[in-house]
Amino acid sequence: MRGTTPRREQGMADPVLASMVHALGLETVPHYTAATPKVQAYRDSWVKLAKFRDGPVNPQRVEVNDPAEMTKQIKAKATELGAHMVGICRLQPHMIDLGEDVSHEFVIVACVAEDYEKVLHGANAVEEEAMRTYAKCTEIATELAAHVRNLGYPALAHHNGGSDVQAIPIFYQVGFGELGRHGSLINEKYGASFRPGFVTTDLPLTEDRPREFGVQDFCMNCNVCQLNCPGDAIPKEHVMTHGIKRWLIDLEKCYPYSRLRDEYCHLCVDVCPYNVKSHSEIYRSFMKERKQVGYKTPKSW
Amino acid sequence: MEKLYVNEIWPDGDVSTVGLFYSRGEAENIVAQLRSIPEKADCRYEIIEAVAGSPSTNPPKQARKAGKE
Repeated sequence: MRGTTPRREQGMADPVLASMVHALGLETVPHYTAATPKVQAYRDSWVKLAKFRDGPVNPQRVEVNDPAEMTKQIKAKATELGAHMVGICRLQPHMIDLGEDVSHEFVIVACVAEDYEKVLHGANAVEEEAMRTYAKCTEIATELAAHVRNLGYPALAHHNGGSDVQAIPIFYQVGFGELGRHGSLINEKYGASFRPGFVTTDLPLTEDRPREFGVQDFCMNCNVCQLNCPGDAIPKEHVMTHGIKRWLIDLEKCYPYSRLRDEYCHLCVDVCPYNVKSHSEIYRSFMKERKQVGYKTPKSW
Repeated sequence: MEKLYVNEIWPDGDVSTVGLFYSRGEAENIVAQLRSIPEKADCRYEIIEAVAGSPSTNPPKQARKAGKE
């Protein structure tokens, strides 16, 4: 199956970021070169695991007579490996990178939640926590793919060390949540503070369904992320893609804060009122501090 | 920096925004790749400038509220 969705490349492979870096007279992205040893170790971990994305399939195939039961077992396995959320859907062309060919029928997504308290401790803490969760997701996807192959079915892991799939359409389709104004998908429990790993496979499974809980309407009225964004990169108006509201972040305005400094920016996710459901006291305390220095806070939560 | 939307227009009139791009070359490259997909052979594509100060467009008349096909 050929993919149909353009991927925004990372680092200097992104033409927008590359032109901004060169305009500053630099050769590389400051945010990436300033990585702490811990962050670099996390990055190295998914590079090392890249060669295990695929592997030999056990010729002794386990017959699947009950896909629903197999789905339960796969979700239990992913949870045992450390995932906080697991979803499954049928792979569709818009979930695959433009031009890439992935022949598998299903995609399994396993997400690890970030520690919201940690990410409020400054840019370096955000970076370390984000990379820690990405590294954990890489481990989970790698081990889950190996587990499926051991059952006798082809399976390919997709993670920061190599991926042909698009996170947001898969999140939406498996019912993790809805798109938020800040461009990330909002989950009812974890807000947008989670990271994914994926496995595509032909193992017979049952599908989860999209689930809506009012995010699109909420984001139409709440502009907290937009008013807290230091770069004014979050738009007031949305576009529509296949009937779904999307707010496209203006990267030219986002990158000076999220890529062209030594530090990461995560504020749009941190100030989202959906964080209050899982981290009520921490969120209120954080927003109180921001209000004292003049930033917009939610009218109610 | 130039800001351009690529919109995909289906035969039934449904308009979907593919993305926001920052040069005509990048936008045209994306359109060329999309045109090469057999399933999208009947689609038309438009590259339009994003209005300054408003990095997005209004929903098309045909837009449904939510939910995928």
